[in-house]
Amino acid sequence: MTTEAIGETPAQPAGPARGLRGLLTRNPVVLKELRGRMRGPRAFIVLTAYLLLMSAFVTLLYAIYVASTNSVYNGASSQVVGKFVFGAVVGIELLLVCFIAPAFTAAAISGERERQTYDLLRTTLLTASALVFGKLASALSYILLLLIAAFPLQSLAFLLGGVSPQEVIIATLLLVATAYLFGTSGVFFSSLMRRTLGSTVLTYAFALLATLGLPLVLIALLPLTSMLFNNAPPGPALETILIYGVGFLIASNPIATAVVTEVLLVTEQTAFYFPLPISNGVTLPLVSPWAPFLLFCLVAGTLMTIASILAVRRAET
Amino acid sequence: MPAIIETHNLTKRYGALAAVNELSLQVDEGAIYGFVGPNGAGKTTTMRMLTTLLQPTSGQAFVSGCSITRDPRGVRRAIGYMPDFFGVYDDMKVWEYLDFFAACYEIPEATRAGLINDLLELVDLSHRRDDMVDTLSRGMKQRLCLARTLAHDPRVLILDEPASGLDPRARIEIRELLLELSRMGKTIFFSTHILADVAEICTQVGIIEAGRLVAQGSLADMQRRLRPHRRLHITLLGHLPEAHAALVARPGVMEVRQTVVNGEPRPDEAAEAVGQVGADGPASAKTLEVDFTGDDAAVSALLRELVGRGLPVLRFTESVHDLEDVFMHATQGIVS
Repeated sequence: MTTEAIGETPAQPAGPARGLRGLLTRNPVVLKELRGRMRGPRAFIVLTAYLLLMSAFVTLLYAIYVASTNSVYNGASSQVVGKFVFGAVVGIELLLVCFIAPAFTAAAISGERERQTYDLLRTTLLTASALVFGKLASALSYILLLLIAAFPLQSLAFLLGGVSPQEVIIATLLLVATAYLFGTSGVFFSSLMRRTLGSTVLTYAFALLATLGLPLVLIALLPLTSMLFNNAPPGPALETILIYGVGFLIASNPIATAVVTEVLLVTEQTAFYFPLPISNGVTLPLVSPWAPFLLFCLVAGTLMTIASILAVRRAET
Repeated sequence: MPAIIETHNLTKRYGALAAVNELSLQVDEGAIYGFVGPNGAGKTTTMRMLTTLLQPTSGQAFVSGCSITRDPRGVRRAIGYMPDFFGVYDDMKVWEYLDFFAACYEIPEATRAGLINDLLELVDLSHRRDDMVDTLSRGMKQRLCLARTLAHDPRVLILDEPASGLDPRARIEIRELLLELSRMGKTIFFSTHILADVAEICTQVGIIEAGRLVAQGSLADMQRRLRPHRRLHITLLGHLPEAHAALVARPGVMEVRQTVVNGEPRPDEAAEAVGQVGADGPASAKTLEVDFTGDDAAVSALLRELVGRGLPVLRFTESVHDLEDVFMHATQGIVS
C-alpha cells in the first residue's frame, strides 16, 4: 500500500445510516457483538433448546391441568386454562430474564479488560457511551429475540381464551423493563470491577436481592407487624405510610409486580388506578404496581447506565 | 525539526514509588524513536500516559500538539497504539477485526472495505482475510494489530515492545514493516529492550532508567557524549614496538593497547613477534587498539604518520561503538 492509498481515507464520522440495519450497525460494538453471538450453530441451538424446553413445560402444565379438572371443553374452564398457560409462560420468561440478562452483561466491560482489548478500544475514537450502549443493546437484543420467539407459545393462551390484550401488553412491558434493569446492572458492575468474577457475583447478588429480597423482607417483617399492631390498630397516618411502603416494595420487584398486577386485574378489574379504603373511611388512591415498576426500572437502569459511562470515561489514575 | 511528541517533567507516582520521574523527552516528526530501558524502568507507564490511558501525577505532555490531559480525543485521533500485551477477539474473522476498529475510528462504512484490503496487503495478511483471528500465529497477530493501529492514518505510532516474544523471522518482518511505515511519513515511538533493533532502525534513542531519562539524542550523538574518544584499530604486519612508540608520541592519543586479530591478546606472542616482519603473512598480523581524541583530519594525519615511517599497516579502522556499550555506560542497573 502506498501513502496515498491511506491518505485517501476520509476520517469524517460515518453519516447517518438508514433503517434497522443502520440503527444496529452504526454502533461498531453492537455489530461486533451480534456478529460474534450469532456466528455458527450455537445461537440457533440455544434458541431451539429454549423453545423445546418451554414447549415441553407448557404441554406438561396443560396436561396436568386437564387431568386435574377433566373438563377442558367447558367454556369458563377453558378460560382458566388459558390464563394458567399464559401466566406460566410469562413466569418462566420472567425468571429467565432475571438470570439471563446478568449472564449476558456481567462480562461486558470487565471481559474486555481481562481479554486485554480494553486499552485498544479506549485509545480509539470510540466514546465511552458508544461502548456502554453497544454492549447493552447487543445483550438486550438477544434477550428480546428470546422473548419474541416465545410469543407463539404465549399465543396458545389465546386459543383457550381468558387472556386480555391488556395483560399481554403489560406482561411484555414488564419483561422488557426487567431485562433492561438487570442488563444495565450487569454492565454497571462490569464497568466498576476489574474482574468478571467479581462483576458476576455482584450482578447476581443484585438480581437475587431484587427478585427474592422482597419476600425475605416481608417474611422478616410479618411477625414484627403482628407484634406491633396486636393490641391497637395503627393510626390512619401510619396505615397510609405502611400501605405506600409495601406498595413501593412490591413495585421494585418484578415477580411481586407481576403477581399483584394480575391479582388486581382479576379482583379489581383494573390495570391502572384503584381506590383503597382504610380504617378511618378515607380512600387512598393507588396505581397498579406495573406502572411504578416500569418507572423504577427506567430510572434505576438509566442511572446505572450513566454511572457505567462515567466509569469507562475516567482515565486510570 | 518540530517535535511531535513532547513531555515536560512528566511524572507518575504510585504512593512513594515514582514509576516515571520528571521525564522530559522530545520525538521529532518522522523519527523512529527507540525508547530503551531495563524492565520496570517506566517505559510502559510513559506510553500509557502518552496514549491517554493513564493520568499523569504531574507534568504535561503533547502529542501532535494536543495535550494528553486536556484534549485526549485529539491525541487519540493522532496516534495508533499497540500495547505490549494485547488480546484479539477470538470470535472474529481477520477482516471483521479490522472493520470493527475502522468503525471505532469513525471511518465510513463505504470506504472500509477498500481500506481493509490495503491494510492487509501492507502487513502481508491478505491470504488470511477470511480466517478466524485465533488461528493466526503470534507474529501474524502482531502484524494484524499493527494494521489495526493504522486504520485511521495516524501521524504517530506508539508501539510497546512490538517485537517481544516473536521468533527471529517475525521480528525481522516487524522491523521491515516499521521502516516501511517510516518511509510513509509516520513517526514511530517504540519501546524495546532488543538493542540490535534500535541500532539498526532508530534515528533517535532515549534511554530510561528508574523512571528517569538518562540519555536522549541520535545514536551518533549519544556515542560521542557517552564515550568522548574514538577507538581506532590498527593492524600491522609487524614492527609493533615502533608503531607503539610512534603512536604514543602523537597528540590526542590517550592509550594504546595490543590485541591479536581473531583472538584474545597474547602478550607472550607479542614479544616473539617483534622483528619477524610479516614472516607468515596476515595470520601473524597484530592489532593495536588506540583510544584517540581528535577530528577526522587528525585521524588521517595519524595514518599518514604511520605509513610515512614505513610501518606495514594492513588495516586501519575505527570501531563504531555498539549500542550495548552506550547502554551499559548510560544505565547503572538500577530498577525502581
